Amino acid sequence: MTILEGKNITKRFAGLTAVNKVNFKLEKGEILGLIGPNGAGKTTLVNVIAGTYPPTEGEVYFEGNNISGLKPYKIGRMGIARTFQIVRPFPGMTVKENASVGAMFGAKGKDRTAKEAIKVAEEILEFVGLGEQMNVKADQLNVASRKRLEVAKALAMSPKVILFDEVMAGLNYAEIDQAIELIKKIRNTGITILIIEHVMRVIKRVCDRIFVLHHGEKIADGAPEEVLNDENVIKAYLGKRYKELIT
Amino acid sequence: MRKDIRNFLICGFILVVVAIFPFFANNFIIRFATDILMFAIMASAWNIIGGYTGYASFGNVVFFGIGAYITAILMEKAGLNFAVAFLGAGLGSALFAILIGLPVLRLRGHYFAIATLGVAEAMKALVQNLEITEGNSGIYLPVLNLSVKAQYYFFFYMMLGTLVLTLLITYLMLNAKFGYSLIAIREDEDAANSVGINTTYAKTMAFALSGLFTGFAGSIYAFQQAFIKPGPAFTVHTTVKMIVMAVFGGMGKLFGPLLGAFSIEIISEILSNYFLVAHTLFFGIVVILAIVFTPKGIIDLITQRKFGIAYFLQNIREHRI
Repeated sequence: MTILEGKNITKRFAGLTAVNKVNFKLEKGEILGLIGPNGAGKTTLVNVIAGTYPPTEGEVYFEGNNISGLKPYKIGRMGIARTFQIVRPFPGMTVKENASVGAMFGAKGKDRTAKEAIKVAEEILEFVGLGEQMNVKADQLNVASRKRLEVAKALAMSPKVILFDEVMAGLNYAEIDQAIELIKKIRNTGITILIIEHVMRVIKRVCDRIFVLHHGEKIADGAPEEVLNDENVIKAYLGKRYKELIT
Repeated sequence: MRKDIRNFLICGFILVVVAIFPFFANNFIIRFATDILMFAIMASAWNIIGGYTGYASFGNVVFFGIGAYITAILMEKAGLNFAVAFLGAGLGSALFAILIGLPVLRLRGHYFAIATLGVAEAMKALVQNLEITEGNSGIYLPVLNLSVKAQYYFFFYMMLGTLVLTLLITYLMLNAKFGYSLIAIREDEDAANSVGINTTYAKTMAFALSGLFTGFAGSIYAFQQAFIKPGPAFTVHTTVKMIVMAVFGGMGKLFGPLLGAFSIEIISEILSNYFLVAHTLFFGIVVILAIVFTPKGIIDLITQRKFGIAYFLQNIREHRI
């Protein structure tokens, strides 16, 4: 079953076409990887889905409803959560307060009182492994913990779909392994995931399917092994050395 | 939980002391205390939009002026009693905040500050030229028909009651989802939006609350003065005072603005008693020192109980002054 679908999404900024007629489908329960070189339009595509700006052309469908052009908070309340490439916790709030805000205003926010939301936030923080740091101010966390907090904020919204925009950037190997475990754990709770990532190790280990953007256009879509061996993808993104490395 | 009860008891005790204080004071002191309370209301109201929501309004005096003028017009022209005029003033200011907030709150940072400043100035010009407000000659209000002493009591307790209401609503707000949404907007508005907060609604409501309480203060002020003019009612000086008090006491803290209003008024009173001419100069120095050494406000100094030089140096480092 398709939960999120993009039809012919185009986004132009004045003369620049950042995303050009991109079609994609996100099936319920899968992890879809979105890769491509810098400036390919990956974050722009996520911004269009999340409602940061409307698509110039084309539509986004969530559970069959056209959501293109809706404000970000409406899309958030429908059940699409996102993380930001440059992490954006609320710096002056504690970790617990950060996650509470997600629980208060996300998809199930309307049914929760402030107190219930704080409880949900505590559970989520335990889940992502920030249980020890609940009362620390968000701006005092290290990079890895901040990324976890971004994930916790998104999870607290009780979303159906999460859009991860480079949650692994800036993490070391050990931290990446932990993050991969976390992503798998999240998928096991039934949440569908779209993940933008540059770290190929991650893509290969977690994604069910990958699609590749280059200059705003989709150049490949399919199973990881297939896509990563595709001539066009290697030329545009991975580079010749990548092929030598893996063979 | 026990800490909550302790704080509650402390607040109750202070309130009782303040409430019985007029019976032991002369008229001059009561009047001075009434002024402090008025500025405490306005600084606390400013705190809702400027401190918690992070939108530094430089035009909050507009609500004060509108509250004063609504009271004057309802009482003098429509012949209504003060209770109706008081409510009308608050609600009218809140409504104005919603109408003006919808376009102006789209602006951020300095642009919002300048726009609100412009709104206040434009309102002053409008009031100066309207027939119903009697232009620059001002409006007289009916005088409160009580003995002189009773009048002092009346205005003192009106201000005190309004201040308690302001702080109580702010406290309830902070523990509700609404309060969290305001602070989230202050910390990162785009992130707040994507987390499901209707930022336009939250900001506008915060501005309306700020307008409501400032309008109440303006209403009591007009009745107390029994005569208002556009110049003093809409002077930017009042806004500056609200901001200085809120910042001095501690922005985004419940009791910060109250503490700021109290200390600023006392300090400026003492300074003007000792230095007839140069007191504004010394006052400026006090404010600058306070901003440099305790940018989080004096409430932080008290609640953190850190008085050493290390605390001041840490503040300077953190804020890169």
